Amino acid sequence: MSLRATLFAAMLVCAGPAWAHSFHAGIAEISFNERTGSTEVVHTYMSHDVEALLSNLYQRQFDMGEPEDQAVFRQYLERQFWINGASGRLPLKWVGMTADTENITVFQEAPATPLAQASSIHNAVMSDFLADQINTVNIKEGAGARTLSFDRAHPDHPFR
Amino acid sequence: MFKLHPIALAVLFFTTAAHADDDLIQRVLVEGSRGSQIGLVDSASAGSIDQKALAARTTYRPGEVLEAVPGLVVSQHSGEGKANQFYLRGFNLDHGTDLATFVDDMPVNQRSHAHGQGWTDLNFLMPELVARLDYQKGPYSARTGDFASAGAAEVGYVNRLVRDVLSVTAGQDGYARVAVAGSPQPGSGNLLYAFEVLHNDGPFTNAMDYHKANAVLRYSEGYANNGWSVTAMAYASRWNATDQIPERAVDNGTLGRFDAVDPTDGGAAKRFSLSGVWRQTNADAASKVSAYLIRNQLALYSNFTYFLDDPVNGDQFAQPDRRVTSGVNASHTWHTHVNNRTVDWTVGAQAQNDNIFNGLTSTRARDTLATTREDHIVDTSLGVYVENLTRWTDWFRTVAGVRSNQYRFDVRSNLAANSGTTSAHMASPSLNLVLGPWKNTEVYANIGNGFHSNDARGTVTTVDPKTGAATQPVPGLVRSQGVELGLRTEIIPGMQTAFSVYRLDFDSELTFVGDAGTTEAGRPSRRTGLEFSTYYKATKWLSIDVDAAYARARSRDDQPIGNFIPGAVEGVGQLAFTVDKVGPWSGALRLRYFGPRPLIEDNSVRSHASLTLNGRIGYRLSPDLHIELEGFNLTDRRDPAIDYYYASRLKGEAVAVDDIHFHPIERRSLRLTLVRNF
Repeated sequence: MSLRATLFAAMLVCAGPAWAHSFHAGIAEISFNERTGSTEVVHTYMSHDVEALLSNLYQRQFDMGEPEDQAVFRQYLERQFWINGASGRLPLKWVGMTADTENITVFQEAPATPLAQASSIHNAVMSDFLADQINTVNIKEGAGARTLSFDRAHPDHPFR
Repeated sequence: MFKLHPIALAVLFFTTAAHADDDLIQRVLVEGSRGSQIGLVDSASAGSIDQKALAARTTYRPGEVLEAVPGLVVSQHSGEGKANQFYLRGFNLDHGTDLATFVDDMPVNQRSHAHGQGWTDLNFLMPELVARLDYQKGPYSARTGDFASAGAAEVGYVNRLVRDVLSVTAGQDGYARVAVAGSPQPGSGNLLYAFEVLHNDGPFTNAMDYHKANAVLRYSEGYANNGWSVTAMAYASRWNATDQIPERAVDNGTLGRFDAVDPTDGGAAKRFSLSGVWRQTNADAASKVSAYLIRNQLALYSNFTYFLDDPVNGDQFAQPDRRVTSGVNASHTWHTHVNNRTVDWTVGAQAQNDNIFNGLTSTRARDTLATTREDHIVDTSLGVYVENLTRWTDWFRTVAGVRSNQYRFDVRSNLAANSGTTSAHMASPSLNLVLGPWKNTEVYANIGNGFHSNDARGTVTTVDPKTGAATQPVPGLVRSQGVELGLRTEIIPGMQTAFSVYRLDFDSELTFVGDAGTTEAGRPSRRTGLEFSTYYKATKWLSIDVDAAYARARSRDDQPIGNFIPGAVEGVGQLAFTVDKVGPWSGALRLRYFGPRPLIEDNSVRSHASLTLNGRIGYRLSPDLHIELEGFNLTDRRDPAIDYYYASRLKGEAVAVDDIHFHPIERRSLRLTLVRNF
């Protein structure tokens, strides 16, 4: 089963009825790609939440399939998420994003940047908009993996 | 290679429900499709039109943005600075009676206006700032009150722009416009500014020389659903008017289609406002408070009958109106989840006060000859409502509400007999049943009560100020009752279709005749009609809109004079093709049909129909620069924009002549616009 299919199946199983109380969450996966020598970040957010965010910022509907509308979310995300290194922020580049009716996935990378340079993470994506937003960041470094949790009151965490 | 850990995603798997913090938008758009209305609105005749769809329309004048509402026709019978004339659901809405219009949380309709009840001047509308248009038709919501019987339209402005914009337009017939808008972010908040200047002569022999300056300044903090904003607006214009002219004079060659009978007609308008909105939203509740202070001033000179009443000086009259409108709106919604049902309770209050000085004077070339009436009016209202939305199951929801409306009319006229204080009260319940969605289809049943307030002067007038004859005061509020069945379906991918049949009764079509300074006690009426609208995204680059509406409007008291209602719109339709992103090209073609209407009660005289084809072609020169050519009345038809039937007398005519009087649609014209984003 593909990742996307796994995601959808899990949502079908886990999603409550239409009137269930919402839980707002985002995921970021940070890892080092040994083949390219880059640090990679993959964000996943609920499309519904991103649409609500943007429409409450700009009072209009957004089509996340449109490059100019994607650029608006890029501007927002780059303002809300960064990784600090010893000599300033890691040079995270926007690689692209995918959008469907359920999820928005954003791909970033810091070219030729080992993960070892990271010292802290700032993650306030969506949490400035949704009071109960919890952002989980999974870090794969070497053979180990760890998880950090961010919310409105705690937008910054040391990397290690 | 990017990888995503499936287990880590589990934290996302907790539902997608609609809740308190997402009432602005509930559907994800993909591949340029239009946002779904399923589950969001409670009748087939309600909807929301987003910024992109509005921007794709070709509009000759700002008020035409309302023609995005299916079945609504916006016309003009005078100079551009005057409020438009509206038609919807079997109504000749005059300048806005029975169509409640709001811009940026402020009412546009002006009560007890010198020229017409509910005067709706949308010339201050700034297209660059329009975020969306929400509309509803029929009196089925407790949230809307005065003037909302035929429908209600609400134009929302943005708090910030994605990109700043400079727009420069040059066109035929002396058209020129420069607009600039931007939204810098000083500190924690957001500033929004917009400014436009415009000139237009139109095709008229007596050049319109319409000058307009318009500005908006807003400061906001936070998000639209959790934040606040303060906004200042300023608008000023002046124009020469070519009012409607008699058909007989055009037929015999005395007048050209674009000639004026009285070249001194025209006017000037100013509008200043200061308003603020505060909203707080969380998963369990939503609150909104807005307040506004609006200063409107109008000078209006008209001559519709020429030399009928005064063969020497002519019949020109002035209707000056200046007012300060202040108001506060507040609402609070509680969201609850009980026994697998969601129940939303909303309570709200809307208070408004209009402090008005207006009048009616006879003039000649804008010089005052005599005063018919002068009034100081204080028109005060309070509307409170409670509304319950219950989602009983995932396929059945109800919206029930009741609204209480209290009005006070205080008139100090130059005639003591026409002065006094009155009050009026009316309760208006409503109920909406929504079944579905099944296969992306919803069925609606709506029933409700609405009303319009009458001109305050009519509620106390006992003497006709022109003739001295005794008259009867009229009630302050007039009830309407509507019922509607509707269907909305999106069963075909890319296609959104709505169909509705309705009936709307008015107890009495009481109207204040501003041109005469008196109130006509109208007859009870019934309107039945059907509406169809469909939008089809045929390909990624092509969308098709088709709207059609037919209404039958009759007086219910069956009098020998006839039961037709003069000016009541019957059949209207639109067909539009919109092309986007064909490489750097975009464009649209829109055909509008405005069908014939009865002009007198026995239907022996009917108006002409008009057919207008407008279009635009856009070309993107770079990501920051695009150019657009708009064309109006592309087939150069010589149709009337509007027709009336009444008696008039031209200079040299021995007697009054009953005739059709018309205002022409503008001849074919082009406008070229350069838009720079930065």
